Amino acid sequence: MARTLSSPGSGQRDQNRLLLIATRRSFTIIVYALLIALAFSMIFPYLWMLANSFKSRTDFFTNPYSVIPMPPTLSTYYDALTIGRMGVYLGNSILYAAVVLIVQLLIDSLAAYSFARVDFPGRETLFLAVLATLMLPGSVTLIPTFLIAHGLGLTNTFTGVVLPGFAGAFGIFLLRQFFLNIPRELEDAARIDGSGFFGTYWRIMLPLAKPAMVTLGVFIFLNEWSSFVWPLIILSDWKKYPVTVGIALFRDVNQINWPAVFAGSTIVSFPIVILFVLAQEYIIGGISLSGLKG
Amino acid sequence: MTTLAQPSQPVQSRASRQRELWKRVRKTWPGYLFISPAGLLITVFSYIAIIFSLYISFYQYDIISEARPFEGLENYTRALSDKLVRISFRNTFIYVIVIVPSITIISLLLAVLGNQVRRGRALFRTVFFIPTITPIVVTSMLWVWLYEPTGGINKLLELVNIEGPNWLFNPSTALPAIMIMTIWGAVGYYMIIFLAGLAEIPEVFYEAAKVDGAGRWHTFWSITIPLLRNSLIFAFVTLTIAAFQVFTQVFIMTQGGPMNSTQTVQMVVYHYAFQRFQMGYASAISWMLFGVIFFFSALQLKLFISRELY
Repeated sequence: MARTLSSPGSGQRDQNRLLLIATRRSFTIIVYALLIALAFSMIFPYLWMLANSFKSRTDFFTNPYSVIPMPPTLSTYYDALTIGRMGVYLGNSILYAAVVLIVQLLIDSLAAYSFARVDFPGRETLFLAVLATLMLPGSVTLIPTFLIAHGLGLTNTFTGVVLPGFAGAFGIFLLRQFFLNIPRELEDAARIDGSGFFGTYWRIMLPLAKPAMVTLGVFIFLNEWSSFVWPLIILSDWKKYPVTVGIALFRDVNQINWPAVFAGSTIVSFPIVILFVLAQEYIIGGISLSGLKG
Repeated sequence: MTTLAQPSQPVQSRASRQRELWKRVRKTWPGYLFISPAGLLITVFSYIAIIFSLYISFYQYDIISEARPFEGLENYTRALSDKLVRISFRNTFIYVIVIVPSITIISLLLAVLGNQVRRGRALFRTVFFIPTITPIVVTSMLWVWLYEPTGGINKLLELVNIEGPNWLFNPSTALPAIMIMTIWGAVGYYMIIFLAGLAEIPEVFYEAAKVDGAGRWHTFWSITIPLLRNSLIFAFVTLTIAAFQVFTQVFIMTQGGPMNSTQTVQMVVYHYAFQRFQMGYASAISWMLFGVIFFFSALQLKLFISRELY
């Protein structure tokens, strides 16, 4: 294409310029068409999910494909929350996610600060030992983690669900990177004022690390909210199930109440969509970071 | 003088080094205190766990009975001749071979196309990203309905006059159905990885290519791809590791059926460990999977890194 365009001749040149503009336009149109088609393929399950979640059972069975519920009803939500027990599951999930979020942020940041700033002997080796665990496939640690939890008497308990999530090698790595980039002068000033290591961490470093803490916090929350295999294994009592395990139970029923599944799915996705809207930049920044470092 | 002093020097410095070390420890002991909660958890749930896992893979180990006889390599040899294990490894390999390149190529396409347009860039990014942050249990449930004989997918196919199969109940379409859903759910994440990689490529390269009269296609192959190397390696390796351990989609959508056509290694590990309580045998299978994952990750890294030299 480029070669034909560079051919001389003044009359030819205008025509060629028009041709160039035309190909550029059509290229843009093709790109947009592709993007819109791809965007539709990403979004259509959600359109159906939303529409069907507002349909009554009879409306769903007569018109499962329409995207406009006739008439819209909230009864499926009521069913999902009560008969489907989504209310209980939702409460459990919020509890698990909140506890893991707070405790892991504290434990990770404390360790990360220590690895970044306290010059204790053996620091590098211990940090490498933490990083190395990132390589372990969850597939291998699943059974022994269960057996250890079982040995500690933690099966079918709240503690059993949250305890293994209290520390994360990725979180320690992320926060340590961040702490390393904070200028030392800020701490020196605090040290001169008589702050110990903990005072410096709590009063100086933690407030400065807010962006990194938010990024990590969003990831911890998303992880815990969608966590499925571990609670499935450790719990046996439905009263303690998180939403993920609860929703999966709908699948076991012979005659699936699809509208309730759609309502339940909408309820589970809702906090995540809100979080995504609020913290989009943090989420995308965090993923980009993990990709660039890796 | 110097020759005489030399032999005694290391001894002296060792003593003084030890004193120095103690001084440092005394000054920095809170450092150990700060890492101890994380250290304890990681020790128990990673290090002790993995050693324990290897240990019980040589035993007949179930939770219920007290007798746990040593079996040597029995569990491993049993796994090699176990038909279910063989089928699951085959299915998992097929799954990995299809999924990893598909997700890499499609997400790269999304990133590159998304970068070409000015209007609506953020909107496209958001839309492509939504499946990634939805819990996989939820997306799996949604797709179970979509794959019903009278579900959404077949309705869409009907519009173009194709009669869709009973996706999840047909042994030849069940695994592809799970793969399609997984690709759909993962491309948004890797698109973000590639967008970050694209943003790192200096604009100068593209300007230079334009001056040289290089077309879009040529620019893509000779500038974008080589300079995205790090992101591509990251995507390929992490995807491979994750794909080998596929579980939740299969558990929700097919439970390994129909006729074991979607049985994956992790499903089999779950089956033996938590439905038949043969923890030792299941651990042995999980170690075999670990070995396979380790082999392929190492191979990929070696291949990619040797390429760097050209």
